Amino acid sequence: MQAANPSYTKPIPASSLLATLVGSGIDCVVTVPDWVQLSLHQALTSSPLAVTVCCTENQAVCVSTGMRIGGRFPVVLIQNQGLYACMNALRATALDAKLPTLFLIGQFGREDANHGHPHRVSTRSPVRYLEPALEAFGVCFWHLENESDLCNISIATAHVREHGRSAALIIGTALAWR
Amino acid sequence: MTIDEACRAVILSRGDAIVVATMGAMGALDRLDVGQPRLSCVPLMGGAAALALGIALAHPNEKVIVLDGDASLLMELGGLVTVAGSRPRNFYHFVIENGVQFAGMSNLPLASSAHDLCTMAAGAGYASCSMYDCVEALTADLPARLSESGPTFTSLHVIPLPPVFKHRVPQRELPDWHFKRMGDEARALTTWLRSRLPATA
Repeated sequence: MQAANPSYTKPIPASSLLATLVGSGIDCVVTVPDWVQLSLHQALTSSPLAVTVCCTENQAVCVSTGMRIGGRFPVVLIQNQGLYACMNALRATALDAKLPTLFLIGQFGREDANHGHPHRVSTRSPVRYLEPALEAFGVCFWHLENESDLCNISIATAHVREHGRSAALIIGTALAWR
Repeated sequence: MTIDEACRAVILSRGDAIVVATMGAMGALDRLDVGQPRLSCVPLMGGAAALALGIALAHPNEKVIVLDGDASLLMELGGLVTVAGSRPRNFYHFVIENGVQFAGMSNLPLASSAHDLCTMAAGAGYASCSMYDCVEALTADLPARLSESGPTFTSLHVIPLPPVFKHRVPQRELPDWHFKRMGDEARALTTWLRSRLPATA
């Protein structure tokens, strides 16, 4: 029997993630909802952050880009399948126009056996191809597996703010409901 | 009504509103030599309304005009719901309806000629929707249209420009500028928006 992975048994509380986002300067959220981050969606309903819900991830990337042009600092909250759905908007804004987006991406469908192992050896295609897809589009990424990884949020926001490059925070485990 | 007549009428009524344009409307604004505050959504068919929505939400005191195209809007039709759901009072969505894709180049048919974008926008929840096919009526109504509380939707039915590409006139390489201009204009627009903010003590 496989030993339980600590990050799997102690997922990040949504409240801690939200507080860290706010503390890192994020001032609004643009989303197509994500299964892995359901508790964060719930926490956002009582947060001061404005949330814009979009019908597609292409729209979410464009709304985020417009907000950044206007001086705001949004995070785009989506799931892995959504990243594949917004490749054209990401290509146009991040690569051609050099207008960065910060993503918070849930690894929807990650199998239990993959916890504690690299995401790119997952047997599930939405999980396995996320990192290669981000690399193909020049998007640097950091993982959020447990609370000790929350420091990666300020690293990613600094990457966007100081280098003007897109960044992604990958959430490997469903966030805790607290 | 031609696309240039429709776009000229909108631009003459814009005041200091931000204009986000794509595809044929972008070309018309180039011919009209329209400058900042302006953003070209290119090459990104379907992205104009969402880009403009982000700007409108970030700056609720600035009017934002979208000059969209019918083929572009059809690519992100759910964007009507995204806009309406955000209820931006400063958002004015104009759609050039010429009924074709690659207008003035090859004039290919859209997926359908039976759709009604005004009805779709009304169904999505836009505050008001109207249609014009005559530049005189459009010009007369524009001041009132742009004084309404958004989001509003205005369909501009225009005669498509004749296609130019053929056997002896093929497509040419697109210039690098076509891929750079959105970023350059976005950075200029950010500067313009910052200049509009009240000075802090």
